[in-house]
Amino acid sequence: MYVGTGALDIIGVRKRWYLAFALLVLVCLGSMIFRGFHLGIEFEGGTQIQLPARGAQGEITQSQVIGSFQKALGEQPAETQQVGAGASATFQLRSEALDAASVEKVKKQLFTDLAPIGSNGQPSERAISDSAVSASWGGEISRQALIALGVFLVAVVIFLAIYFDTRMAAAALISLLHDILVTAGLYSLVGFEVTPATVIGLLTILGFSLYDTVVVFDKVRENTRGLLGLSRRTYGEAANLALNQTLMRSFNTAFIALLPILGLLIVGSILLGSGTLQDLALVQLIGTLVGVLSSVALATPLLVDFKMRDPKYRQQAERVRARRAKAASRETGGDFDANDDDQLAAELRKEKAYAAAAGVPARTPKARPRPSAKPRPSAKKKR
Amino acid sequence: MAPSAGHLRPGRYLAFFALLVVALYALVFFTGDGKPTPKLGIDLQGGTRVTLTARTPDGGQPTRDQLNQARQIIETRVNGIGVGGTNVVLDGNNVVITVPGEQGDQAKNLGRTAKLGFREVITSQPNTPAGPQGQPGTSPSPSAPPATGQPGGGGGAEGAPAQQPPGSAPPSSSAGDGQTPVEQARKVRQNPDLTGSDQAKAQAAQQAALAALTCAPNAADPLEGNDLPNQPLVTCGDKDATKYVLGPEFLPGTEISDANSGYDQQRGQWVVDLTFKGAGGKTWGDFTSSHVGKQAAFVLDTDVVSAPTIQGAILGGNTQITGQFTQGDAKNLADILKYGSLPLSFDSSDATTVSATLGLASLEAGLIAGAVGLIVVFIYCLFYYRLLGILTIWSLAMAELLVYAVLVLLGRWIGYTLDLAGVAGLIIAIGITADSFVIYFERLKDEIREGRTFRSAVPRGWTRARRTILASDAVSFLAAAILYIIAVGDVQGFAFTLGMSTLLDLVVVYLVTHPLVAMVSTARSKFLSNPRNLGLGSVQRMGAQRKAARSAARRTNVKEA
Repeated sequence: MYVGTGALDIIGVRKRWYLAFALLVLVCLGSMIFRGFHLGIEFEGGTQIQLPARGAQGEITQSQVIGSFQKALGEQPAETQQVGAGASATFQLRSEALDAASVEKVKKQLFTDLAPIGSNGQPSERAISDSAVSASWGGEISRQALIALGVFLVAVVIFLAIYFDTRMAAAALISLLHDILVTAGLYSLVGFEVTPATVIGLLTILGFSLYDTVVVFDKVRENTRGLLGLSRRTYGEAANLALNQTLMRSFNTAFIALLPILGLLIVGSILLGSGTLQDLALVQLIGTLVGVLSSVALATPLLVDFKMRDPKYRQQAERVRARRAKAASRETGGDFDANDDDQLAAELRKEKAYAAAAGVPARTPKARPRPSAKPRPSAKKKR
Repeated sequence: MAPSAGHLRPGRYLAFFALLVVALYALVFFTGDGKPTPKLGIDLQGGTRVTLTARTPDGGQPTRDQLNQARQIIETRVNGIGVGGTNVVLDGNNVVITVPGEQGDQAKNLGRTAKLGFREVITSQPNTPAGPQGQPGTSPSPSAPPATGQPGGGGGAEGAPAQQPPGSAPPSSSAGDGQTPVEQARKVRQNPDLTGSDQAKAQAAQQAALAALTCAPNAADPLEGNDLPNQPLVTCGDKDATKYVLGPEFLPGTEISDANSGYDQQRGQWVVDLTFKGAGGKTWGDFTSSHVGKQAAFVLDTDVVSAPTIQGAILGGNTQITGQFTQGDAKNLADILKYGSLPLSFDSSDATTVSATLGLASLEAGLIAGAVGLIVVFIYCLFYYRLLGILTIWSLAMAELLVYAVLVLLGRWIGYTLDLAGVAGLIIAIGITADSFVIYFERLKDEIREGRTFRSAVPRGWTRARRTILASDAVSFLAAAILYIIAVGDVQGFAFTLGMSTLLDLVVVYLVTHPLVAMVSTARSKFLSNPRNLGLGSVQRMGAQRKAARSAARRTNVKEA
């Protein structure tokens, strides 16, 4: 695999891949329909108040925070959690939407009771952050994101159809839709919180997913240039070869893309707890993995199936088979069976003779390759 | 770009790149304030950001003109508060107010529509049976805290005056959700029959409308700011203590030329003094002359602020609004009226105050995450590509150098502010930038696998890799550009840095990475040209083997022929 010669037969077993992907998509769809999503504050509407976990009287405890909130408004916050670590540890309080005056009241009370320490080392009411979001805001962002998604899909199809061809565009589009569905489905399954940052992240995954597909398809196209005029291998075999040749590249691009994302996720979680950074990183992490998998095991197999609907490619595949049968019968006088000792001995003798003849210079460069020989993209066209 | 190594002069590209960097940094240090720091968003330095979403009476799309007008008015209101560095921008249908530093809390009240109008009071009744029956406008009972009448940063859903049409949405849903609640409310509370000539019909309509109105504190009013001026109106007032039936608006708030708050010694309360424009003053004078002894209502955003009884004709274009004002209330109202009423209603969609502490923590987290990301990519590249890895690291470093300079300059020129999402975009873009090198190097490997030497693999590999890099970067850029243009909020910062990094990645690959690889490939140094040091050793052995196998195959075929 390291040098890109690993002959993994992905195209040959594509039916199995389809089945696996279909199952995955079904599970994801099911989860989205029956489980739904864990929506963030931006979708539900509400107020979040955040304060440093260090006060003038030392560490602030969770019960102190809740008590203070209750004193101010007469009710408990809906959710309280401590996030981050060390000097940057903070408390996050969430409640139903509060108006500006109530927020001010809570902040005053928290300051009076706990005196959280600000960045200048002094206790300050300004060290308390707050954020009030209306329930429609998340919807607004998502609506725009969906519009962007639609425009993006159209633009991408046009781009791919021009750069490659319509079949490649179709295959890429389907694997793209798969990526969206599965990423969203995983969010629903695991119950990660969906925030506007997640929705944004989902859109940028598409860029990456497609990026990877473009790299693979570029190689497929290169390997299949002039294929119809040749009878050396079928479209599927050429595509499989391209996949194997780009597998290491796909793996590397994915891995290198994942490294900073992982860094972002880990550092963000340790230092800040939940928030924009983690939301973006998490969705990117999932999406990148799904995107790479689908560009290898879904987009290319689909492409092969689409191409094989074209009679030209089917006829060519037929010619390849015919030619192979002929070549095989000419070389070994029938099907070679490695289990037959006589045939094996004959074959070994032949190999020895080839080796002995290796010193003789080639007289004709237009020699036919053996069926088992690895393809050379530089080979001349033959009719 | 030179098609082959023979014509490529790597030195020139590198020199050109060096010139580019020098030029950019000269701009950074010698133009503007010369400070080499990008503009930071409030989530990285602390401050307040309020996002106001426009909503029109009919639920349709507000026009560009209305939005621009609203933006300007809000900007004047901001300037009226007198906080420095405030920024008011349009983002789709949103007006985003950004106040850096620690004085931003007031910004949360800037989105008040302040649609003021003057209506005649037809009749009124107290909200609760136990409520005081006193002269409206002069001694209403303060049944709710003063803030109730001020829809603030919490959004249209909170702090709004308390009215509810029959079967309306629960308080948590805002009026911006759709047009149905607004239409429903209008049907009952703005029924033209309310002031119609048919007495019986008018009575019935008034009964229905008053019954529908609960005036409960803290309930959202779907009509807020959306009442039709040419129709009668049934609404709450005096801090939800009284229900009013009002005639059509006879004088719009746009006729006000100036407003000031002051303390009325005689009454012992805070008041707002108004000055009308010429025509408005005349209308007001005419109305007050003909309605002595009756009440006139000052309706602000569908809420009756005050409804004094007219003692006599008020000529000369001045008048006074009284009510249960605190000093702050009076000043707020005066400011809002002075700086104009908005052509649209706004919901506060998102009001965030980030403390300087949290901003600093976010910035640090972003920087650390970026550094960690870069270092792990460095290590991986070194491990996997050896010498080529060093070229990668160098190229990445150059790319970051470019990105930083461009960020600073864009902050200066177009006011681009780097926010947390933007930082995330930059970090994720490290991967995309490094990917271009991976594509190139893997191509080189392909060529060497075919049996070429490193030296001859470079020009061929480059020509092919270039196409893939261009195509894949085009896709990434397309995604970023579409996001940037269409999406709102944090998305833009993210899309911006992502798209910018993609473009700069191309610059670096063309002007730095490829020339450097070309230089290495043509170097005479044994060490440099040894494929093993380039992480290409095994691939080359492989290529050599294959070459041998191929020639062996060729010979057997020859023999056979």
